[in-house]
Amino acid sequence: MTNIIEAISMNKKVELGKDNELHILKDVNLEIEEGEFVSVMGPSGSGKSTLLYNVSGMDRITSGSVKFKGREIGGLKEEELAKIRLKNMGFIFQDINLLKNLSLIDNVMFPALVSKDKDKKAGHQKAKKLLEMTGIEKLADHNITQASGGQLQRVGICRALINDPDIIFGDEPTGALDSKSTEEIMSILAEINKKGTTVMIVTHDVKVAAKTERILYMVDGNIVAQKKMRKYDAQHEDIKEREESIMKWLVENGF
Amino acid sequence: MFLKIIKNDFYRKKIITGTVFVFITMAVLLGASATNIVANLIQSMTELQERAVPADITQMHSGKYNQGEIDKFTEEQRENIEMQETMVLLTLDGSNIHFGKNQTMAGTVQDISFVVQNKKFDFILDLDNEKLDIKEGEVAVPIYFMEQYDLKIGDTITVKSGGDEKAFVISDYARDFEMNSSLTSSKRFVINQNDYDEMLEMQAGELEYLIEFKLNENGDSQAVQTAYIEAGLPANGPTVGGSIFLLFNAMSDAAVVMVIIFISILLIIIASLCIRLTFLATIDEDLREIGVMKAIGISKKDVKNVYLNKYRVMSVAAGIIGYLLSFVLVYLFNGNMRLYLSSDLSGNLKYLLSLIAPLFVYFMIVMYSKKILKRIDKISAVEALRSDIMERGKNRKYSFRLLTNKFFSTNIYMGLRDVWKRFKLYRLLFFIFVVCTFIVILPLNMYNTMNSPEFSTYMGIGKSDIRIDLRRTDTITEDFNKLQEELKNDSDIEKYAAYITSSYQVKNAEGSWDYMNIETGDFSVFPLNYLEGRAPKVEGEISLSYANASKDGLNKKVGDEVVVKVAGTAKTLKVSGIYQDITNGGKTAKANTSLSINEEAVLWYIVSMDVAQGVDIREKMDYYQNTYESAQINDIKEYTQQTLGNIIDQMTTIVIAGIAIAILIAVLITALFLKMLLSKDMSQIAIMRSVGLTSKNVKHQYMAGTLLVLTLGIIFGVLASNYLGEFLVSMAMSTMGAAKIELVNIAWQTWLLCPLALIVVVGYTISVCCKVTEEDDLSVVFKS
Ligand SMILES: Nc1ncnc2c1ncn2[C@@H]1O[C@H](COP(=O)(O)OP(=O)(O)O)[C@@H](O)[C@H]1O
Ligand SMILES: [Mg+2]
Repeated sequence: MTNIIEAISMNKKVELGKDNELHILKDVNLEIEEGEFVSVMGPSGSGKSTLLYNVSGMDRITSGSVKFKGREIGGLKEEELAKIRLKNMGFIFQDINLLKNLSLIDNVMFPALVSKDKDKKAGHQKAKKLLEMTGIEKLADHNITQASGGQLQRVGICRALINDPDIIFGDEPTGALDSKSTEEIMSILAEINKKGTTVMIVTHDVKVAAKTERILYMVDGNIVAQKKMRKYDAQHEDIKEREESIMKWLVENGF
Repeated sequence: MFLKIIKNDFYRKKIITGTVFVFITMAVLLGASATNIVANLIQSMTELQERAVPADITQMHSGKYNQGEIDKFTEEQRENIEMQETMVLLTLDGSNIHFGKNQTMAGTVQDISFVVQNKKFDFILDLDNEKLDIKEGEVAVPIYFMEQYDLKIGDTITVKSGGDEKAFVISDYARDFEMNSSLTSSKRFVINQNDYDEMLEMQAGELEYLIEFKLNENGDSQAVQTAYIEAGLPANGPTVGGSIFLLFNAMSDAAVVMVIIFISILLIIIASLCIRLTFLATIDEDLREIGVMKAIGISKKDVKNVYLNKYRVMSVAAGIIGYLLSFVLVYLFNGNMRLYLSSDLSGNLKYLLSLIAPLFVYFMIVMYSKKILKRIDKISAVEALRSDIMERGKNRKYSFRLLTNKFFSTNIYMGLRDVWKRFKLYRLLFFIFVVCTFIVILPLNMYNTMNSPEFSTYMGIGKSDIRIDLRRTDTITEDFNKLQEELKNDSDIEKYAAYITSSYQVKNAEGSWDYMNIETGDFSVFPLNYLEGRAPKVEGEISLSYANASKDGLNKKVGDEVVVKVAGTAKTLKVSGIYQDITNGGKTAKANTSLSINEEAVLWYIVSMDVAQGVDIREKMDYYQNTYESAQINDIKEYTQQTLGNIIDQMTTIVIAGIAIAILIAVLITALFLKMLLSKDMSQIAIMRSVGLTSKNVKHQYMAGTLLVLTLGIIFGVLASNYLGEFLVSMAMSTMGAAKIELVNIAWQTWLLCPLALIVVVGYTISVCCKVTEEDDLSVVFKS
């Protein structure tokens, strides 16, 4: 199996003022295999989001190396990074972050149009299919003010998927949703993962983590523990058991 | 919490606060300057009037005249008339007056006369507003000529007539209440009585009389004029009322004042819009604080006062600075006034009057801010913590879907549709671009109009290549006939027409007789654009100038009848048309050749001509100038330029100032606007970048949007200056006798040069200011 992401002694520091630096990520090493479904857990402020944004090239690391599909992205120009985000990555956020002045379907197809301006029809078709897949095709022409949080997050996922990315990053994508929506979103993500797309999400929720196959546990800028499991299979496995074992593991690691 | 908001406000919005401050200051500055000029104008006009004691009625006359009869008339009219004096003008042709190195005044369109200072009233003053008292061998030259020919005190001018010549040393400049303005067609040189007598002996020039009346305080001007005519007293020239001098004197300064006030009002509007923009752009950021304040029970009023106080402080500071600076600025503007009206403008009225401007601006700004702040009322405590104020209450149907875009790249399209979606926000910029275009194009059009041959339309003259004016000399009639004969045989002349203007008595609205100048000739040769109707073609027709036909004049419409006394008998003429004319106080008339000429009341002859194709106009003009020395030969453009005089110079200044102001405003506001917009849209920009747009893509979106607004602004600006501008100019000019000005609009300037200049300058500003920062980590915006 090849690694889609490979980070070696990755450091992230931010300047807070004169002689005042915050060291957020401390010599972190991380490998993520193609097709994996990974979650990141850890106390608030431990650097989970920072990890996610730095391995995805959204932020720039201070030192170390990050490779995406074998290519070093630390020194890439802004335009090249943007191109990678456009074609190879998808992002979903807790705050959803859709564009205000676009309808839901336009939000979804927007990255497709930017990527392939010539073929608007194809982009539109693809967006429609994705909305159907996530069950919100009826809302296609609505404004973002006319949909619920769960519905909007599905739009976010559709947008992330529109250019057939290799990996999807999620920063607490279910953080603001009720448990029903959370479950629906997770099954969509699992579906996507099953089709081969790598997924990496940050979460606080054990129920969410239980549906992934590897959990990274972060404390104070370090990955202090990892738990590798099988891919979750609802037919042959009881979710409760899985959750309990994760809880136990977390407590062992000082949760 | 209050302090925090105010402090935040200043730090976050240093630039916009600074700019709003500059605009308010400039508005006060210009407003105060305008009122200051008005105050100066009132004060200096009053003073000048007190010192010069202008006549209330001036009757011009040339030819036979008996002072005894006039004295008798004055006695009879004692209840109305306070004083009477007759000034004898020795009128000379410009070509007889030499100065400098072989220069003469032949080129002028003004009538030149030499006079001796009056004894009772209508005094001609020096630059200190003292009555001129000229010594033998000296002369005081009118300010108009001093400027035109750059004459200095101590220079010599020489009057040559036949073999005789007489030299004068310039000892003073003559400030002449009645004839200062370039719009008054004669100018008076003042000399000593002895020199005057000597000149009479030399038989230089012709004699003309100004029979002047100064009325009692409650004297009835109309009654005197009527009685005068009924008494059959000498009156073959025009009668001029005192108010026309006042109008002419104030005209060019009043024009400056109007322009300044106009710009000042624009600046107030711009400042208000900037305040609105600041508020809209930052209220989202402040909403949290506002919400918290409301939640902890601070009253709305107190919340509003936090914001309001900021603008109060700003307006007061701007008011003080603008008020003080205005006294410096005014000095630059009123050079013309210092020269023509009063050298000493130290009155106190202006200090008080120009306080109006800062007070007015203060109240406007505070009122407007209050109006905007009303929005705070609508924010409930909970809502304030959540939503975006710009998005509220908007549930319009979704339009401009991305799929419908056929022509643009998606990024460009995003920029364009943003303008539509958030027009409220872009409105400020749009308005600014309209205004900037307007203040460049309107003065430019006016300048072009005044400089175009078509301007003759407003002076009651049809368009022709050359115009020859024959003024009163002994040989005028001979010259006129000779000239016509010569023109008939000159194959270089394509066509010509001769016009004779003489004075007639006409029955006015009250049924008494007034004098009126009527020009006769064939008006089909050089057709004039008529406001209504057409030129007089056949016997019994007359056309009137706009001012003459208006309510203040004869009050006639096309088709009405006018009664004119020709050679002693009354003739009824039908009004065939109304045309525009700003010459001779706006009141003129035209009739067909068949109306016989009042021989002894001929005022002047004019010949208009077009040269044949390929003939050099200059050469022709030189030829006729040499052959007819006493004639004034001008091409139409020269003629209008000299008549309009310094108004054209002022227009040039205004065009340049307009361009400078427009560019300054456009650049400043564009830069400011983009800065605000980009910081307001920070999160939307981050979202777009997170899905894979480069900062260049984002930049192109904003550039497309602002350039669209610029284009729309320019289009509307050009249309506004063409239509609204034409309306405004016509309104202003209708007091002078031109009611329908059609601005000359040089297409490549209005549609190409000016827009291109604006697009280049603003486009450059946009490309420089539209900086999407790419150094920072993108996630900063997303993490909370
Ligand atoms: N750009 C930044 N500037 C300053 N501090 C930051 C920045 N990004 C993150 N931090 C700080 O670094 C720490 C880790 O942040 P984050 O990765 O968001 O934590 P998590 O997502 O695990 O809650 C926090 O203490 C946060 O305040
Ligand atoms: Mg986080």
